[in-house]
Amino acid sequence: MEACPLYLTKNFKNPAALTFDGYVASGGYVALKKALSMQPQEIIDLVKAGNLRGRGGAGFPAGVKWGFLGKTEGPKYLCVNADEGEPGTVKDGPLMEFDPHQMIEGIAIACFALGIKWCYIYIRGEFYKAHRIVQKAVDEAYAKGVLGPKVMGSGFQLDVALHPGGGAYICGEETGLLSSLEGKKGFPKLKPPFPALKGLYGAPTIVNNVETLACVPHIINLGAEAWNALGTEKNGGTKMYNVCGHVMKPGYYETRHSITLRELIYDVCGGMKPGRTLKGVVPGGSSSPILLPSEIDVRMDFDSLGKAGTMLGSAAVIVMDDRTSIVRALDNLLHFYSHESCGQCTPCREGTHWLYLISQRIVNGEGKAGDVDRMLDICNNMVGNTICVLADAAALPTQSYIKKYRAEFDAYVLDGGRVGLLGNREEKAAAHA
Amino acid sequence: MSLITPELKARFDAVVARYPKGQEQSAVIPLLHAMQELGGGHLTQEHQQAVADFLNLPMSKVHEVTTFYTMFSLKPRGRQHLSVCRTLPCALCGSEDVTKALSARLGVGPGEVTADGEFSYEEVECLAQCHLGPVLQVGDTVYGDLTPDSTRSLIDTLSKKGRP
Repeated sequence: MEACPLYLTKNFKNPAALTFDGYVASGGYVALKKALSMQPQEIIDLVKAGNLRGRGGAGFPAGVKWGFLGKTEGPKYLCVNADEGEPGTVKDGPLMEFDPHQMIEGIAIACFALGIKWCYIYIRGEFYKAHRIVQKAVDEAYAKGVLGPKVMGSGFQLDVALHPGGGAYICGEETGLLSSLEGKKGFPKLKPPFPALKGLYGAPTIVNNVETLACVPHIINLGAEAWNALGTEKNGGTKMYNVCGHVMKPGYYETRHSITLRELIYDVCGGMKPGRTLKGVVPGGSSSPILLPSEIDVRMDFDSLGKAGTMLGSAAVIVMDDRTSIVRALDNLLHFYSHESCGQCTPCREGTHWLYLISQRIVNGEGKAGDVDRMLDICNNMVGNTICVLADAAALPTQSYIKKYRAEFDAYVLDGGRVGLLGNREEKAAAHA
Repeated sequence: MSLITPELKARFDAVVARYPKGQEQSAVIPLLHAMQELGGGHLTQEHQQAVADFLNLPMSKVHEVTTFYTMFSLKPRGRQHLSVCRTLPCALCGSEDVTKALSARLGVGPGEVTADGEFSYEEVECLAQCHLGPVLQVGDTVYGDLTPDSTRSLIDTLSKKGRP
């Protein structure tokens, strides 16, 4: 495994970078200066050529998304999606807490390339610390002329404001985020029209993830070829991964897309806890289908994981050891999805709820024959039938957990549910005896 | 409008100014956060009405927001409100036992307030600190790698902090 040069996290151990001067001393705002001397279309083409895939989860090429922005003389917006909340994901928080100017530089370059003068950073409500740090950095960027009427002395004007969320997973979905930013409940909107044509306040809008924007200065500095060389085919650059669960060294790491899931778990994170073996691993946040121990020699890029029947998503790896009850793990996630469904679409509102109710019946020892198949049937009626992908995000893992660990689900129904999440035997009260 | 002092009005005006003219509704979440903080951790009908009046919104538009987003509480909370993560990454590392220890130590269930009004807790979904699991958040501080024992000591520490 070849060591990865650090770009996104290079300032994580350099607290001076929190200040404008410290960031500049670390080589910051050089890319913005360079970008301001380029033609906007050149920048968009460079990001396209750099194969920067959207870091929010979908992996859509950022440069292509930028190319869709509606042409208008009226207002256009950039909304930064800093509503990190996909279970397992820890990357945008640290990117903002340790290197806020990196994101601001990415924002400024993106806005210059897109002719956008107004940017909102939609930051997760619970991220008080990140909010404070980013606000301070934004204020300093204004004071130093990086933001405001004349960005770095050029004729380009840019204003940036922070907007806190209220605690709703659905607002990480880009159209749900826009509804929330408009002061409404976070209902996603039917696409098309896509936000690039009709987004915030009905104006053309680009929604980009924090990490996506943090990559932009490095593409400008390195050029598309060098940036691509860090990644794999069609997956440019380095990537933030967070590994959590039953590994020795959980944490977030910047590394190459070419790393395999096995290397990430065993080499980077020190492997499983002593005496434990791997039972299953979720590679890209809780919404991605689970992989068996036999399936982890897969490269951690968007396309390789797609071919493996799962997804890179938010690159959040959740590792489960041999004690783990897969039935209880799924039950935990179904609580999450039924709680976080916005309730707008019937297949999702009812589907996530029914899945959770049946799952609860199973874990409470009252599972009935046919319950597991009933869950699969509900999933089939959820996928692709809703405005946004929250329904799919609940159904796809459900299908994969059941398909790959079917015997465990069947045994759980028969056994009457006495196994806790971590394999502990739970003696049930005699209420049903 | 009695709740809106001149100082608060200046603060609110600055928030509203972040959004384009005619889009003042965008300020509803930031203003409700500020109101909730002033209200000691929860929003009364009066608080919500004050935000509605300030933004010229019908009360229903404010209520839609306060009932949709989990950070807003319409019930009193303790002076220190603890959010314990219950989602899978934390659960895999033992959050169920942490929550049990917390509940036993405080002597209250989720959503209830201790008799002295100091503490309340609730189980929340993923706090995006999964590498530190199990975690709980109090105000802007996140406590990680919790065990039942360290959770009990944390409450002891926070209890001392709470006293004047």
